Amino acid sequence: MSLFSIWGQYFPSYLQGLGVTIELTVLSLALALVIGFVLALMRLSKVRGLVIVATVYTDVLRAIPVLVMLFIAYYSLGAIGIKLSGVEAAVLTLGAFYGALYGEVFRGGISGVDPGQREAAAALGLPPSSVMRKVVLPQAFLAILPPATNRFADIIKDTSLVVTISVADLMLQSYQAISATYRPMDMLGLAAIMYFVVYLLVSRVLARWELNVQRRRS
Amino acid sequence: MSKDVVVDIQGLTKSFGDRKIFRDVTLQVHQSEVVAIIGPSGVGKSTLIRCVNYLHPFDQGTIRLLGHELRGGERPSAAVLQDIRTHVGMVFQTFNLFHHLSVLDNIVLGPVEVKKVPRKQAVERAHELLEMMGLTDWAKAYPRRLSGGQQQRVAICRALAMDPKVMLFDEPTSMLDPELVGDVLEAIQRLAQQGMTMILVTHEMMFAKEVADTVVIMADNAIAEMGPAKQVLENPQTERARNFLARVLRNTPPADIPQAVVGGDPD
Repeated sequence: MSLFSIWGQYFPSYLQGLGVTIELTVLSLALALVIGFVLALMRLSKVRGLVIVATVYTDVLRAIPVLVMLFIAYYSLGAIGIKLSGVEAAVLTLGAFYGALYGEVFRGGISGVDPGQREAAAALGLPPSSVMRKVVLPQAFLAILPPATNRFADIIKDTSLVVTISVADLMLQSYQAISATYRPMDMLGLAAIMYFVVYLLVSRVLARWELNVQRRRS
Repeated sequence: MSKDVVVDIQGLTKSFGDRKIFRDVTLQVHQSEVVAIIGPSGVGKSTLIRCVNYLHPFDQGTIRLLGHELRGGERPSAAVLQDIRTHVGMVFQTFNLFHHLSVLDNIVLGPVEVKKVPRKQAVERAHELLEMMGLTDWAKAYPRRLSGGQQQRVAICRALAMDPKVMLFDEPTSMLDPELVGDVLEAIQRLAQQGMTMILVTHEMMFAKEVADTVVIMADNAIAEMGPAKQVLENPQTERARNFLARVLRNTPPADIPQAVVGGDPD
């Protein structure tokens, strides 16, 4: 069987797997953005307790391999009565881990905004929440976008870890294709191409967005 | 406190950690008075005016303004803080225009967000202010497109849009190229003529002499001398004031003085 006909034969199941991969990515990203934003605000707050909690969370999550956390979420939590589906465990794990990374990205972006901008906004009488919403965050946005895009691309790739807990994503589909065809090179190649295409689309779209925002402000 | 005192600073003392910034500063600013604060770098001139709208807290003393009293070591309530900042306009050395907003939106933000002025009305007022500053064509531009002098005039518009009772100027021309200084000083002078109460930290001696009613010379972390502008600048009584003025005047060749603005004779 030629390479293309065998790819054609497995393409529908790969597409299905890709759908699961995208679903995992979007859900994990959403959770990670929320956690990241909360962590950034906690670390930038003047309340010592919040700073400590957020710092410990960030350090711990970053220190543990994602795979270990994924197994804890899927197997160990199950053992103490919290039963999560594969998708739930994966979203929780990736969201929690990338939340820690996004927290750093957001914090960097927010604290990189020129203090004079906050001062000017405060001097106009804007309350702290408006200073953040109207002046600091819109300006932090440009600094945050590039590193945030990179993390996003990393999430897409890291979703492939769910193959270890039998979630039927793109990676699992290619495993199954390999065991049916005994052609690991070809079948992983197709998966690699599909990951690459998604990554390319996402990064191009976000890069274009970044450029537009930059142009608008100059 | 006499009726027309707008800002009453009594015994103000401020340090950053172990570093004393200034001590025991007492200063009253009357309605429509222009007070210029001059003195060598690092004596706390900027810090002093930042205490007036509480961008910096201070350790001891009081500031009374707009029916409020700020006390050293005591954080004012959010409502008091907002009321003071709404009615005290500030212009910064580095302009600090909001880079992500157009010139127009820079001016409109405060009135709409803080004073809840309808946007349409705020936009009209912004156009009036821009016209007054000769910036009509720049309403839609983003701040980075403008020269420093233009940015600073937009910053003045932004502060005026709040209809302030007092204006604070923190070295408004010291970041500008010499040829752009004139336009900004002219704008400030016009405000003075319209009766705006102002506290101005500046290095422009001739301008201070021309526009200010009162000149305050700060040196060695305290007020060295203050009084009517001409008297303090031409005939200083204290040695610290004399030393400072001798140093500055030697370093200011007559060519740098914007004659068109100050008009007078730079003697």
